[in-house]
Amino acid sequence: MGYRWVEHTAEVELEIEAPTEEAAFNEAAHALGELVGDDLRQEWISREVSVAADDRAVLLAHWLDELVYLAETEDLVPDEVERIELSGHGLRAIVRCRRGNPRPLVRGVTYHQLSFERADHGFRATVVLDV
Amino acid sequence: MSERSQPPVHGFRQVDEVEWELPASARADMRVPARVFADRELIGQIAADRSLEQLQNVATLPGITGAALAMPDIHQGYGFPVGGVAATAPPDGVVSPGGVGYDINCGVRLLALPLTAAELGGRTEALVHEISRRVPVGTGHGGALKLAGAAFDRVLVQGPRALLTERGVGTEEDVEHTESEGRLDGAETATVSERARVRGSDQLGTLGSGNHFLELQRVVKLFDHPAAEAFGLRPDQVAVLIHSGSRGFGHQVCTDYVRTMDAVQARYRITLPDRELACAPQSSPEGRRYLAAMACAANFAWANRAALAHRVRESVARILGPKLAEGTRQVYDVAHNVAKLETYAGRELCVHRKGATRAFPAGSTEIPATYRNVGQPVFIPGSMGTSSFVLVGRQGAMERSFGTVCHGAGRRMSRTGARRAITGAELRHQLEARGIVVRCPSNRGLAEEAPFAYKDVERVVAVVEQAGLAGRVAQLVPLGVVKG
Repeated sequence: MGYRWVEHTAEVELEIEAPTEEAAFNEAAHALGELVGDDLRQEWISREVSVAADDRAVLLAHWLDELVYLAETEDLVPDEVERIELSGHGLRAIVRCRRGNPRPLVRGVTYHQLSFERADHGFRATVVLDV
Repeated sequence: MSERSQPPVHGFRQVDEVEWELPASARADMRVPARVFADRELIGQIAADRSLEQLQNVATLPGITGAALAMPDIHQGYGFPVGGVAATAPPDGVVSPGGVGYDINCGVRLLALPLTAAELGGRTEALVHEISRRVPVGTGHGGALKLAGAAFDRVLVQGPRALLTERGVGTEEDVEHTESEGRLDGAETATVSERARVRGSDQLGTLGSGNHFLELQRVVKLFDHPAAEAFGLRPDQVAVLIHSGSRGFGHQVCTDYVRTMDAVQARYRITLPDRELACAPQSSPEGRRYLAAMACAANFAWANRAALAHRVRESVARILGPKLAEGTRQVYDVAHNVAKLETYAGRELCVHRKGATRAFPAGSTEIPATYRNVGQPVFIPGSMGTSSFVLVGRQGAMERSFGTVCHGAGRRMSRTGARRAITGAELRHQLEARGIVVRCPSNRGLAEEAPFAYKDVERVVAVVEQAGLAGRVAQLVPLGVVKG
């Protein structure tokens, strides 16, 4: 359970395994924080994030898009998902972020091989980031 | 065994020494063949990842014509392979945002300084350092050219010409020496989201991260003297190569329209093997809006590289004097990630280039009058620390590749693989031991761009030359590199 980076020639492929859907979204936030976090300060700020999509895989892409946007426009790196509520087509969360100097690495959260599905012990998701 | 008798690679049969083809019949959903320009060595490297499968996926796009093409620097991407080319026929042929990519009009610009490396001498490090001080590499908070409202919109519509007329950035010759004169027609600012504006508002004139760089180089060899003379390149000349794109602005435009296209696949009865290939007919409302927004992002990218070139000239003025800054000429600027309407055999086609460079031959009215007798300049950056090449477009490109050549060496190793093989500190030491000045704040980012993570650029260039797509003009080697 957790996340791992899968070999990809040029981009960054993230694979997540988690016991619940909520935990999978949490893992994705942690992974992005690890990827872009740099020069982090002792300053934490919470932000509400709200996204919607017709399926869970696209919801995951939109969730990561929102976190990339926060990093790029406010220098906020996701540190902890304090609260997360999933509905049929949406997600609302409070994300505790750390102010820093995030790497402007992620150009896009792609739909290539994008997946979010039930697995033996919970859920498995894959997303490829353009870097 | 002769080259012609080589066995197929993943079903791709060798057509000639530098071309491989998979017929359209290989897969039920392919509409055209898939074709790769590569020699035996490169096709083996290419087959090591999923590039060839991705190229076959491109061959399924509605309205694709000729073949799905791949340049010798092809590698696995997302949706399209990087190094992929697809021409679709309007009006029903599709346009695919993923076929252009998130970094719309990522490209390269070459500046030629009016001095030799021998004359630069001991001032190399000072110049590289000054450039690194003046060029913001991060998200753009500080140092960027901040624009808002109507001024921002004029950049989206006019590209670098807006910066020239309103801010005194660049020269008239710079604009003329830019692909499409730095301005794609059809840009409509109303097609761009507020979020894209926010991301772009403080990123004009910023380099970015990943494979973006700015390199101080010197000319070590000339191959085509008339073309080199036309391009203003001489032996031992100092040059600066700038590699950047449309930054967060373009990234957001692509994100917005991949979502839009994904949502309308069923309406247009489009079935795709990869969701990132999401597309719509060029004549559809979604297709037209994407092309208008993409033009805004392409124009933004050309303005971005114009602003970066301005920073380089400021650096030259400070370290070498204003006279040398004034004498710093822009050789040309080319786009790598873009979709353009171009005419082939009397048909207007929408040519998607994803990590590929336009390479028009002598006589084309699309290239500056000063270069029309020799052809369009093309720049092929090598990996960090290796040679880069200036090429010139040849007629073969019009006949075989929709006027396209490669865009670089092409990755062959993952970023994590590169980091496992070398640390940033080790690589920095190796480059500095060879006399290359390095300015990069991130050891991790440096390691990910290690030279061995890329294919052999000389082999890549030899393939496009042998295929008649372009000819070598000059070889340059690095003196210093600035990375985000």
